[in-house]
Amino acid sequence: MVDLVETGETPARPREVVVDARDLRMVYPPSKAGTKGTVAVDGVSFQVHGGEIFGFLGPNGAGKTTTISMLTTLLTPTSGRATIEGIDVSARPHDVRRKLGLVFQKSTADEELTGRENMLIEAGLYGLAGPDVSAHATELLTQMDLASSADRLVKTYSGGMRRRLELAVGMVHKPRLIFLDEPTLGLDPQGRAGFWRYIRSLRDSKGLTVFLTTHYLDEADQLCDRIAVIDHGKVIAIGTPDELKDSLGGDTLELTVAPGSPDPTPLLQAMPGVSSVTKVRDTYRVKCSNGESLVPRSVLGATQAGINVVGVTVTKPTLDEVFLHLTGHSYREEGVPNGPSSGSGGDGAPAPGGA
Amino acid sequence: MLLPAFSLIRREYLRWIRAPTWVISGLMSPILYLILFGQAFDLGKLLPPGVPPSVLSSALSGAPSYFSYFAVGMVAFASVTAAMFSGTGIIFDKQLGILQRILSTPISRRSVFLSSLVFRGTLTLIPAFLVVGFALLLAHVPDVAGLTVGGGITVVDALQFVVAALVLSVAFTALFLSFGFAAQRIESYFGVVTILQLPILLTSNAMYPTSIMPAWLQYVVGINPISLAVNVMRMSLFGTAGYTYAAWVYLLGLLAWACLFVLLALLLASRALRSGGGPGGGSLSRAIAE
Ligand SMILES: Nc1ncnc2c1ncn2[C@@H]1O[C@H](COP(=O)(O)OP(=O)(O)OP(=O)(O)O)[C@@H](O)[C@H]1O
Ligand SMILES: [Mg+2]
Repeated sequence: MVDLVETGETPARPREVVVDARDLRMVYPPSKAGTKGTVAVDGVSFQVHGGEIFGFLGPNGAGKTTTISMLTTLLTPTSGRATIEGIDVSARPHDVRRKLGLVFQKSTADEELTGRENMLIEAGLYGLAGPDVSAHATELLTQMDLASSADRLVKTYSGGMRRRLELAVGMVHKPRLIFLDEPTLGLDPQGRAGFWRYIRSLRDSKGLTVFLTTHYLDEADQLCDRIAVIDHGKVIAIGTPDELKDSLGGDTLELTVAPGSPDPTPLLQAMPGVSSVTKVRDTYRVKCSNGESLVPRSVLGATQAGINVVGVTVTKPTLDEVFLHLTGHSYREEGVPNGPSSGSGGDGAPAPGGA
Repeated sequence: MLLPAFSLIRREYLRWIRAPTWVISGLMSPILYLILFGQAFDLGKLLPPGVPPSVLSSALSGAPSYFSYFAVGMVAFASVTAAMFSGTGIIFDKQLGILQRILSTPISRRSVFLSSLVFRGTLTLIPAFLVVGFALLLAHVPDVAGLTVGGGITVVDALQFVVAALVLSVAFTALFLSFGFAAQRIESYFGVVTILQLPILLTSNAMYPTSIMPAWLQYVVGINPISLAVNVMRMSLFGTAGYTYAAWVYLLGLLAWACLFVLLALLLASRALRSGGGPGGGSLSRAIAE
């Protein structure tokens, strides 16, 4: 467990805690007698603040959906406690349900109904009806680019259209907190970009708090204010995307010198912000916190010392590297059983649509 | 407070109005029974000639002919058959995750069940009345037996008939809905339903009078909710004065069954709905299995 929780600027802006999860655990009962149950979520704690986009990043079977189900009262935790706007999810589930919107991982719209009917019925379930509600539904459908297909049966929708309808349905009662379980799954790049814009604008204009799960590293990186990385039911790191990446010791600067040049290691190590230097043939790999500013300084310093620099690159750390560092396996390899530590996360992946 | 339940009813209504298939399938067997079994199996023809019609009539709860007697039984059978389909929607909603979405909203668990019961229970009356209409029509077809009712049916008689049909519908709708909440798959649901269908029908007096049965069977038949409903309906259609008191007793018995089935269904439904259903709805079914 890497302790990155609550560092950086968070204490400077005291914000309302909207979601508070304390040591949540979920053990699914065994499907066959005599076998052991599945530990889906194994002691997860985190807080989501008002007006932030909080991402749950993790591979298949990590426990993301299970966590959402517990926070939205659909599953009772085996142990642990969670509150939504201060209300305990186990003690007062009915009040909690009023507070939140939820978009499921798989499509739950009624296929035999039109998009608009789905929205109005959902509104009715929250006790909302009338011209204002219809107008809001139309507005949401328009924002989701579904205005022209609003009165067609959902079974004639494409996958992406269904996904966007789910989002519209989840927003119909104007929740201040919304849970999105893999909201951009199956959206094309344009659709994803549009969705990101939409979520950000809601956050900015209405102060919406968003809890979303995702498989996509770039989505976590670009959309989320803070990320919790979850693997095998445990949160292994929490922080802003930059904090997580900085935890790797920052940027990597690679300095390639002409064969036969003197060793620049002592020189590089003396520079501010440098944490380590390793040599791979004629390339020196420098871990540093300030990659860009180190470029001119290192090149200049080396040249003055008579070292012939032939190339220099700076790479920013990626979340993939963070993941590799935290779990010992690369994010993309997850599910490919190639070692004793991997494979166990992939085998639990529920089959799509399996009930 | 009623709006959430009304929304669910509206959803079911919209689905139904677009594909009212199960009314057709629910009508199939009662209609077949009416035009084949009811025509062929005329008990009256077994009597030697010369026996006064009143003998037959009194054995048949006052019905003027065997077919009329039988047709009323089929009215009850039609609503029970239609009710057999009421639990299927719940299973599909469970499998598609629609039930989970409904449960994530603030609607009360009881409303989810009751809105289904109200809508399905009412729908179940449609086939019952279609069978009445069909049987009455048959009376006007030459060489075909049809339903003939006694003259002088009062408003109270008609009301009794409708109430009996409605309570019977609600009772069996509740029963089959509860199976729908409990079942995980459509196969197991129809497994149970098919096992029940014939015994429920054959241990009633829908098809033949109780008086020709062995004593042990008479007890079972006497308390079968179909028999209770059919007794009331026959009295209302063929009734003579003096039957009224007995009709209330039968209605009360039928009502007791309905209460029992509704309570059982409420129990099973709230058990199934309590833990909401996690990913894939798996825990929903698990909640019932335990
Ligand atoms: N209903 C269930 N019954 C038993 N085990 C379950 C159930 N739902 C999920 N699991 C198990 O719990 C673990 C976590 O599942 P979960 O659905 O929360 O993962 P996830 O992070 O949402 O994965 P994905 O990215 O594939 O959606 C998995 O090992 C899964 O097999
Ligand atoms: Mg999931």
